[in-house]
Amino acid sequence: MNSILVLILGAVVIYVGYFIYARRIDQNVIQPDAKKATPAKMFMDGVDFTPASRNVLFGYQFKSIAALGPITGPIIAVQWGWFPALLWIILGTFFIGWVQDYGAMMMGVRREGDSMGALSYKLISPRARNILMIFLYFYLLLIMGSFGNAVGKTLMINPKVPLGMIAVVLMGILAGQMTYKWKQDIIFTTAVTVALTFLGIWLSTTAPVAKFFNGLYGLPESPVWFLGNTQAQVIGTLLVIVFCYLGSVMPIWSFAQPINYISFWIVSLGVLGGVLGMLIWRPGMGDFPAFTKFTTASGPLWPMLFVTIACGAISGWHSLVSSSGTARQLEAETDAMPVGGGAMFMEMFFAIVAFLTATAAFGGFQGYQDAGGAGKALAVFSGGLANFLSHIGIPKDFGTAYGSVFLTIMALTIMQLVIRFMRVASAELVGEKFPAMKNVHVGTIVALILTLVFVWVIPWLTIWSAFGAANQLMAGLALMLIALWAMSEGRKHTWALYPAAFMIVTTLAALLYLAYDNFFVKLPKAATAQAGIAAVLVGVIALVLVIAAAILVYDGWKALRKPQEKKAPAKA
Amino acid sequence: MPEEEQRDSKLKQLGRSVKEFLYGMAGHDMTRFALKTRGSMEHLFILITMGDLLGIPILPPYYSLRLLPYVVPQISTWKRRMLRERDLTDALA
Repeated sequence: MNSILVLILGAVVIYVGYFIYARRIDQNVIQPDAKKATPAKMFMDGVDFTPASRNVLFGYQFKSIAALGPITGPIIAVQWGWFPALLWIILGTFFIGWVQDYGAMMMGVRREGDSMGALSYKLISPRARNILMIFLYFYLLLIMGSFGNAVGKTLMINPKVPLGMIAVVLMGILAGQMTYKWKQDIIFTTAVTVALTFLGIWLSTTAPVAKFFNGLYGLPESPVWFLGNTQAQVIGTLLVIVFCYLGSVMPIWSFAQPINYISFWIVSLGVLGGVLGMLIWRPGMGDFPAFTKFTTASGPLWPMLFVTIACGAISGWHSLVSSSGTARQLEAETDAMPVGGGAMFMEMFFAIVAFLTATAAFGGFQGYQDAGGAGKALAVFSGGLANFLSHIGIPKDFGTAYGSVFLTIMALTIMQLVIRFMRVASAELVGEKFPAMKNVHVGTIVALILTLVFVWVIPWLTIWSAFGAANQLMAGLALMLIALWAMSEGRKHTWALYPAAFMIVTTLAALLYLAYDNFFVKLPKAATAQAGIAAVLVGVIALVLVIAAAILVYDGWKALRKPQEKKAPAKA
Repeated sequence: MPEEEQRDSKLKQLGRSVKEFLYGMAGHDMTRFALKTRGSMEHLFILITMGDLLGIPILPPYYSLRLLPYVVPQISTWKRRMLRERDLTDALA
């Protein structure tokens, strides 16, 4: 199939999904009222509750939900063939993805801007919130583990990448100083720092720099330093850890924020250039098979495909952003559909572009495998992006380094945020018993040590599947909350309940499969201590998540039954 | 309105929408954070000076009363924010 045809198919799905199905649910079921005061207007405090225009919020929502997920998931999932991957991206978004994002947003608006924790307390049960907190900690840890693995063990080991990443960090710090301390014009600051970042990326491709990092990293096959990782992987992950530490403890205005700002320009220009190159080139998929086999290295198609592609189809992360983030800024109820639904459909398009970098940019299945395949999904993306960029005149060498830096900063911007949350979470969960955990540095270091264990010990595909399962389970639980909320308002709720049932059953099956696979297949076969620890870790986390989800679903089911019992006619 | 003017205003509207979208992606978070920081500092200040209103007497009432006229406009939002139950999911967004 030709890439342009796939893009047209995506556009058609967006049109039908957004303008027909989503709008129908919005107008007939939820019935937003443009005149009704939203929490942003009712409780405006200039801090949490502040109204913003729908265009601003659309950009904010899209930026907050689109990270590494929509890129990595489709590239791994095409190992089952392009057809099931594409089908899940499209159908997942059409029937489930936008439902969750929009539903969580409307629920937040109608419930006075309550967060997911407060909503689960009120709509499900008091213990639901505590379980959600434990669940979230593991979820955050899995984000750190999977993103850290992708960056530290795949992208950073390319000697042409680290200098580019360091350039982004330094220019971010410079942008922070220029904006907040030296009060420079934002356009001037942007132009200078973005141009210097590109210069840094170009410098990273030059021979002396590559030679320096090659020397630092040692030969690819040589010294196994620690837990089966090479010297390059150990140095790569340590660079990531240092970055995350600084992101967590330094004032947010001087480090995390300006780096995110510079990253936005680097990523946006990369996406724009890649899409332009694809439109000029119009590659086909060649001999890429529509379907390969039912069971691959990641496991069986059902349920594993549905947790492998997360953000491109549906993701639990979005519900957190939509409910307490965007819902508190909506100017009017009618803005929820373009902001929540619109951003999700746009993310689907982004996932399709990532899907095409795997299926079309290398001319066929063999090219995809040679570029790294599912095991090195991010290397596939950077290589594919370089191929697209080469059609607008950008040298492949620079394109590959650019693609790698692009992905690295996408992951790191999320990771530095997540590590802050983990620090807050550990202070909240165990801070009373262990006061040291309330210390910024102690909380951060504990979280980073846990991350390092995950990154160094657990193999890439396994940790991505575990992260995907936790993420999708979060989505299932959010959909259950949305159904409960719709029911509590006396509205139709099947549009959210059926997707919730599908997501919960699928992700519980995926977690049980992961637990079984790790305890009964990988653990007995483990040849090294590292493989054994990895199998036990993943198996235990999968079981903890299953138990937490089972309690939440049980409580949710009881809450679902309650109003029906009340409505049942009394016996004479 | 003549057709040309209508087209111009539509183009301007489109340009404004694109500008706002880009701002939402690139800068809205920074603005929000600056507002949050300022708001938190102000609320902390009100807590120290007007803690009595929440049952936390920190400063002698004499000083609180002298500052009261300046704080009045913010009291309702401050009270709501201070007393609102929070958890990790609030911090995530």
